[in-house]
Amino acid sequence: MSVLRQFVKLCIPLCLAAQLLAVDAVAQPNPMKKENVQRGKTKFQQNCAECHGNEAMGGAGPNLLESPLVRHDNNGNLIAPVIREGRVDKGMPAFPLMNQADILNIAAFLHARIEASNGVKSSTAVLDHALKQFLTGSAEAGRKYFYGKGHCATCHSPRGDLAGIASRYSPMRLEARFLYPPHDNVMAIVSLPSGKQINGNLLHLDAFYVAILDEDGWYRSWPLQQVKVEVKDPLAEHLELLGQYKNKDVHDVFAYLETLK
Amino acid sequence: MMFLPIWKRSSSIKAIAILAIAGAECLLGQTSILKAPIPSVSDSWPTYNGDYSGRRYSALTQINKSNVKSLKLAWAYQTHAATLKSTPLEVHGIVYFTVPDRVWALDAKTGQQIWEFRRTSEGDHTGQRGVAFYKGRIYFGTPDAHLLCLDARNGKKLWDVKVADTSLGYYLSIAPLIVNGLVVVGTSDDIMAVRHFIEALDWETGKVIWRTSTLAEPGTPAAKTWPNDKAMSHGGGSAWITGTYDPYLNLIYWGTGNPHPVLAGAGRAGDNLYTCSILALNADTGAIVWSFQTSPHDTHDWDSVETPVLFDAEFKGKPRKLIAQASRNGYFFVLDRQTGEHLLTSQYVPTNWAKGIDSKGSPIPDPAKEPQPDGLLLRGAQGGGTNWMSPSFDPETGLFYVNVRKGYSLWHLDADAKSPPEDNHGGGSIALFTTSVLLALDYRTGEIRWQRESGLGLAYPGILTTAGHLLFTGDISGNLLALDPSNGHVLWHTRPGGVLNSAPMTYQLNRTQYILTGIDGVLYAWNLSGSL
Repeated sequence: MSVLRQFVKLCIPLCLAAQLLAVDAVAQPNPMKKENVQRGKTKFQQNCAECHGNEAMGGAGPNLLESPLVRHDNNGNLIAPVIREGRVDKGMPAFPLMNQADILNIAAFLHARIEASNGVKSSTAVLDHALKQFLTGSAEAGRKYFYGKGHCATCHSPRGDLAGIASRYSPMRLEARFLYPPHDNVMAIVSLPSGKQINGNLLHLDAFYVAILDEDGWYRSWPLQQVKVEVKDPLAEHLELLGQYKNKDVHDVFAYLETLK
Repeated sequence: MMFLPIWKRSSSIKAIAILAIAGAECLLGQTSILKAPIPSVSDSWPTYNGDYSGRRYSALTQINKSNVKSLKLAWAYQTHAATLKSTPLEVHGIVYFTVPDRVWALDAKTGQQIWEFRRTSEGDHTGQRGVAFYKGRIYFGTPDAHLLCLDARNGKKLWDVKVADTSLGYYLSIAPLIVNGLVVVGTSDDIMAVRHFIEALDWETGKVIWRTSTLAEPGTPAAKTWPNDKAMSHGGGSAWITGTYDPYLNLIYWGTGNPHPVLAGAGRAGDNLYTCSILALNADTGAIVWSFQTSPHDTHDWDSVETPVLFDAEFKGKPRKLIAQASRNGYFFVLDRQTGEHLLTSQYVPTNWAKGIDSKGSPIPDPAKEPQPDGLLLRGAQGGGTNWMSPSFDPETGLFYVNVRKGYSLWHLDADAKSPPEDNHGGGSIALFTTSVLLALDYRTGEIRWQRESGLGLAYPGILTTAGHLLFTGDISGNLLALDPSNGHVLWHTRPGGVLNSAPMTYQLNRTQYILTGIDGVLYAWNLSGSL
């Protein structure tokens, strides 16, 4: 059963049971109606887009079109608790006052976006249209930038990690990802007073303490005044490039990456 | 990346000394060129910004630089509700604060609930900044754009008036401003194609006394900054942060938001007055006395609603009545608040959407940096250099404090939008990299005197400064902080279990000073004794 069908089937009883349900949602038998998706889009862009991006494809927060939770959601059963309770440990605020109709509309918007992005992968017409909008650069100039000024080949290979990358992401996502990919693999080396060094994934670093996940998978933390911390951000070069790209470079590199199918 | 907690570029001991004297004179009530004409808030915190000036500077000194390290939890109140984005009020021993649809009144000494008001509504529940208090009444804006008047003793509703039609997208998130018996509000929303406004209602009846559109009136010179009346009449310009007021000039200062559709400027050629502007309004009539546009022809959602802060100080050797704003577009502006004369424009975060400054002091937008169908990489954080988090001005240091964001963002013009441009942004933006920083700006030059890294990502911590030589705020890493406002050194910090997304405030009751901070859905009160 498709996500859409499950959504339609299960959404109606949930709507009727919802305590704070808006009247207009009760009257609409099809939760995936264009109007609901549009309302959900508006609500999403007001409340969620600052972190998740206007099209839910990620920004400071994760890409929701890739989210296993969103993809497994039926009628808001998984999305609603996250919206209401937040994920405070990850920086997402709670929205306990958001009414059920708004949540269902946001879920409808997210499911519609997933349907659309699945369509992008399967429909040549949609793919061509989206690509036409983005393919304004020169793939050859992009290749030169990749191997030259951008020093991209230092870490990346078109036949290695980038093989087929254009097939894996929609154009807009590919553009955002190559500029600054979402990541959580910042490494840190913590030097103890004894001189011992401990490597791990950086979990927290502020003016007061550092926390890592060490090589054995254990959480460890120290007050900053007791240790020295060396941070190795694998995206440092990406950040540096953000300050150097001309807009033409962005579209040239994109055009080159788009050849890697 | 490594965090650099403190970076001090320079100091100006002489200037600090001059302003410290001015601050002392102010407290003693003596006349002085530099004396602030707008009284500082002290024992109570009766308005959104504490006083009319928007400085969020309290004259209280019990908690001060020498003893703040002993700050303890006095009480906490768990709302089990949404993230607190309101600044609480404190009047006559009662604290009033909000989330959308809900108002609480607590005993300011104990945190004991006195009453709670609830009203379920349609409309946008993005945020609620707080209430206003006047003559024993509480004024509260709702997600469905109503203004409610409550009895401050018991939360009983006295009247409910519809300010705007929520079906068109309007809502009220603002804490009203009380001026001469008028309850002044501005409308929120930046998605829909509507005409926003600032409105003053009679405190007793809710009757509208004046209403000023934030868009030019047809036939006026300002209307020529739009291609036609149709675009102008749907041109946005929301007014969603509480303004400030100079009782001596009888002028209300109010910032306005983006034009519509915000990312697509092609259909609204021109500067689009009075969007993204600071307006000076006659408090009795609402007439626009002067205006200054911070982002002409905005295409990046650079709302100019951030608190326009009022203070009196020297500028280039001359005593001035000043107004300053760290605007969302990444620029810091200082004007003469009597005349609107432009005095200073400086960039406080790196951004490249503008190609220069025009003769009036407004940045000149670079058409090459507008959102593009194939994507435009912009220097500057997606949500702007700052947002609704409250800044503060400390008359003793002469520094303007603001939490800001630096970074890069990617902007797309939505060329394929099937919906008419009237009900969407006309495009979208993606945050690529964002880092948050607390800045201390010298109002005379715009120079950054010190800064403190807050962390990667976004947060909305407001700022409070006090005559105890303290600056209270939070960082994105989950710390509540008391800093030395002269250099940013940490004097006290704790981890309250969440992030500060509202502004701290302070009051004094029974010879005890309290600091209040809203963390997620919990309101915490701090003092030196930790008990009654």
